Amino acid sequence: MPRTVGIDLGTTYSLIAYQDKREGRPKCIPGPYGTPLCPSVVSVDADGSIIVGQAAQRRLLTQPERTIYSVKRLMGRGPADVRDELKIFPFRIDPASKNVIRVRLGERVFTPPEISAFILRELKMWAEEYFQDSVGRAVITVPAYFNDAQRQATRDAGRLSGLEVLRLVNEPTAAALAYGLHEQKRGLVAVYDFGGGTFDISVLKLISTSDGDIYQVLSTNGDTHLGGDDIDNALQSIAREEIRGLGVDLAAHPDVVQELRKALITAKHELSDVDETTIKFPLPDGGVYFREISRGEYERWIRPIVDRTMGPVRQALADAKLAPAEIEEVVLVGGSTRVPLVRQTVEQFFGRRPHAELNPDEVVALGAAVQADILEGGVNDMLLLDVTPLSLGIETMGGVVAKIIPRNSTVPASAQELFTTGVENQTGIDIHVLQGERELAKDCRSLARFQLKVPPGPAGLARIEVKFLIDASGILQVSASDLRAGTEHSIEVQPTYGLDDAEVERMLEESIEFAEQDFSERQLIEARNEAESVLHLTEKALAREQAEASGELSEEERRAIEGAMAAVREALAGTDYKQVRAFADVLNQASTPLAERMMNRALGAALEGKKLGEV
Amino acid sequence: MPQKLVVDLAALEQRFHSLSWKLHPDRFARASEDERQLSLDLTSQLNDAYRTLRDPVARVEYLLSLSGMRKEGQKKQQAPPELLEEVFELNESLDELRETRATGGSAAQMTGLRAKLESAQHKFESALAGVDQELAGVSAEWDAALDASADESARNKLMERMNEVLNRRSYIRNLVNGVRQELAET
Repeated sequence: MPRTVGIDLGTTYSLIAYQDKREGRPKCIPGPYGTPLCPSVVSVDADGSIIVGQAAQRRLLTQPERTIYSVKRLMGRGPADVRDELKIFPFRIDPASKNVIRVRLGERVFTPPEISAFILRELKMWAEEYFQDSVGRAVITVPAYFNDAQRQATRDAGRLSGLEVLRLVNEPTAAALAYGLHEQKRGLVAVYDFGGGTFDISVLKLISTSDGDIYQVLSTNGDTHLGGDDIDNALQSIAREEIRGLGVDLAAHPDVVQELRKALITAKHELSDVDETTIKFPLPDGGVYFREISRGEYERWIRPIVDRTMGPVRQALADAKLAPAEIEEVVLVGGSTRVPLVRQTVEQFFGRRPHAELNPDEVVALGAAVQADILEGGVNDMLLLDVTPLSLGIETMGGVVAKIIPRNSTVPASAQELFTTGVENQTGIDIHVLQGERELAKDCRSLARFQLKVPPGPAGLARIEVKFLIDASGILQVSASDLRAGTEHSIEVQPTYGLDDAEVERMLEESIEFAEQDFSERQLIEARNEAESVLHLTEKALAREQAEASGELSEEERRAIEGAMAAVREALAGTDYKQVRAFADVLNQASTPLAERMMNRALGAALEGKKLGEV
Repeated sequence: MPQKLVVDLAALEQRFHSLSWKLHPDRFARASEDERQLSLDLTSQLNDAYRTLRDPVARVEYLLSLSGMRKEGQKKQQAPPELLEEVFELNESLDELRETRATGGSAAQMTGLRAKLESAQHKFESALAGVDQELAGVSAEWDAALDASADESARNKLMERMNEVLNRRSYIRNLVNGVRQELAET
């Protein structure tokens, strides 16, 4: 029987996990590099093949115009929504984008669900390699604060990847499930989930009943465009401004911008562990951007971003009618909770030390695996009761929104509304469905529009009841019945942002051309590309050493490098991807001292004759 | 179930949980299409009912809608006379605030206006608490009337009073929300 898995489809990394029946606990599945973290990066090769994960991440540096990261930010959004993000993110949006964004990658154009489907398909392959068995069904996690369009886009991505999506589960809820299972805890729990691109806060009550444990979400809030990405972008705009001060504009060098981003992310990670770090970044004009950053300065830069998480935290507590001190446990989830300032801020607010025993990168995927097993009938003494994050409403006279399902209602939730005609011989009633907390339709998120068709007659004669139902995945279903005729009333709902069924069908057909290549064959191609690039870089460094700094390298080092190069060439002639990768790693290590020395020489040359204050 | 308005919340929650175990879609993920649809429909009804019954205001609104006295989406608002003076003052402060904002007033001016708004917020919040208490009082009277098998006209009178309290409440609640929003934007 095909396997069922849990997937965390993240902004920066994605993971796939399963419930290990023998050990009775969830486990993450490692990919070909040994880590379960799959970078959520997709690249399209010139020959049309799709590259995902670590290999795609490297291509961000070499082929930025064919490669995309953080695509989750585009899910379920329209072109007008992302105008601000385009200033910072190198997304190449196709001008023909209307209600769905279309992204250009090399010669081809894709929608965000298609790009996400490539990531899901990669993870599916990891799992199939691991199980030596097929994977059919999945629970996929989404940020709790995702709206209907963002959820539908995620479900479409699942479908396009060839998975049957059993359920979408909110990320903080999944984390609570993994955490509660691990710690055997009861009581009021707040999950603070600060990831790569999204922020969620959920307040839960963990209760033991005679039937089993219930995980009931009391309230949730968040910001679907707030995450570690924003910290990276803040660092990047400061660095680029300072580099501009050195007389270099990076706008014409997309590859250098990606290198800089990588260097800044490394500095960010370091500042989570040490009090000071130094950036030495070579510039395209031969100069160097040299910058010392202290923890204090870094925290002044990012404090506004961290503070933005606290508004949703206060709202979630107010909605649950709880004071911070009433929360018994605080759980940290997401890579951005490694930032010390984030931990301090959360600890200060709740007046207690937050939990971070479980790996904050893995806990969401682990929870998804548990929920997948619950749905398959494996675990039967746990039950999740989740809520809808946003109020559902319909537009009424004067553009005002009438709320029909309030936010934080336990899902599935429903509301029935009766509609009738206002004038004689009216043949249609227009309905506009929205999500959000504001009073006016223009300030809420438009979900869909549809028209109820009625036969001509006197005003007020038609009586059509429309049922709005938010299912357990947080996705809206609409149905209508004609109360006078006593029949079902068919409606066609046109999503405001997103793909309709016909488009998904067409994409499914098209996606056959990306039919899954054999896993090891694809790994071999990637490993060869990687090994060839290491060979190439080493050859270049050796040539440079000969030309500029002959004698810099000891005879012993040279022999080690040349030996490793020969081994890589030999492995390249074979077909074992593990062999190719292993020797490429050896070569990489052997040539690193040389690369560093060449880098320091360049740095020394650039610094020469300049006072420290000038650099 | 008797249509009583004072509810034991712990017992209600327990009942909600035990029905959730029986009905929830998670328990029927592998069942037939028909069973899954039934589970979805019944669970949404259960959740809708719990949402209404656990909230004292929604509970009264639901009772009144059953008798047709209060239709969904046609909620009336009624200004309580004793608050009129304060509402008048509030509107003046709000006009002043918008003008100061538009013309870029001094920090001292803004602080003064903020203080006025905060005091208004305080007043309206305590008025809201008062109305909620009043509603709890009528709700208890309603339960007592049911226990005493009161006749229809006595029950209708109580429902009319509840309706009147709800109308006042929704007016005050809008005031509270309005001031809150202005303060958040200031």
